[in-house]
Amino acid sequence: MPSEVVLTAESPRPTGSAAARRLRRAGKIPGVLYGHDTDPVALAVEGRDLRHALSGDAGLNALINLDVKGTKHLAMARYLQRDPVRGTVSHVDFLIVRRDEVISAEVPVHLVGEAEDVHRNDGLVEQQLFTLTVQAKPADIPHSIEVDVSRLTIGHTIRVADLALPAGATTDVDAEEPVVAGMASRLAAEVEAADEAAAEAVAEAVPEGEEAAAPAEGEAPAEAASEGGGSSESGGE
Amino acid sequence: MLMPRKVKHRKQHRGRMSGIAKGGTKINFGDYGIQALEPGWITARQIEAARIAMTRHVKRGGKVWINIFPDKPVTQKPAETRMGSGKGNPEHWVAVVKPGRVMFELAGVNEELARAAMERAIQKLPIKAKFIIRSDEVVV
Repeated sequence: MPSEVVLTAESPRPTGSAAARRLRRAGKIPGVLYGHDTDPVALAVEGRDLRHALSGDAGLNALINLDVKGTKHLAMARYLQRDPVRGTVSHVDFLIVRRDEVISAEVPVHLVGEAEDVHRNDGLVEQQLFTLTVQAKPADIPHSIEVDVSRLTIGHTIRVADLALPAGATTDVDAEEPVVAGMASRLAAEVEAADEAAAEAVAEAVPEGEEAAAPAEGEAPAEAASEGGGSSESGGE
Repeated sequence: MLMPRKVKHRKQHRGRMSGIAKGGTKINFGDYGIQALEPGWITARQIEAARIAMTRHVKRGGKVWINIFPDKPVTQKPAETRMGSGKGNPEHWVAVVKPGRVMFELAGVNEELARAAMERAIQKLPIKAKFIIRSDEVVV
């Protein structure tokens, strides 16, 4: 269940892209606080403190006691804007929550156990749902949902209906939505097909090579040389 | 090789590649990915070469996703042709990639093998790119 952390915010902060850039250079992250019919408040938090607050077990669903000019708000970090290349946080949205209201949160889905049957048959454990939207009171939001895949077999799918949600948490996601599936590996199938094709080609080439080897072999290297290196990559499969 | 089945216009302007990717910057399907660090045109041949490099290295037990599609035609005039007389003929197809774009994804293998396979694939691409892991995205 989410733990509570205290975070001090600086407000008001200068708005605008240039001012936001200056804040980021100083190690702060611009953000906004809203929710429950309050006017949105532009604020800034220390990057290091935010990282510390969101690095606990609850991750992004951590309950934050946000201190804005002496007023404390119970809030959650709802949306983090990131730089797509560096991965650094450039803006954060805080949503005011109440302890007794049911809110919606994204909870990570973790796979536990070893799908031995799938691995024995060269299969693939394909996770299709990485986060689940859960409705619960802030204190009841689970840190993660664990899915045991040790009994997974090829062709078998674990669906949302099969997940064990903790007490007080529900989900609106379709119960038939797949979470994880045991699949025959496409790469394994491709490799086998390529191996078979190569074996067939060798088997066919031997008897033909005795009769018409000279003209056929004379053309092939000339074509390969004229097409260059790029085509040889794609010609392999 | 990848190319559109049908297009509305046979020839396009070259366009500009300023800025960073607007979408497709996260790993959506697999566990590992190749993220572009520079803007560039990735040809259908380069995409295919990167895919083959990855699948051959992984051999068994993995799955590859290609998140970019070469939908932009590139024209070329024939050699030793005087300037003028209109735009050249469509020769190949490229995908326009901007920094941050996750181009390939891979799942079903361990990190060591995925890193080695994707480093090989990066060698086939004309731009700087890096190997990323899904768990990286949780870090604030």
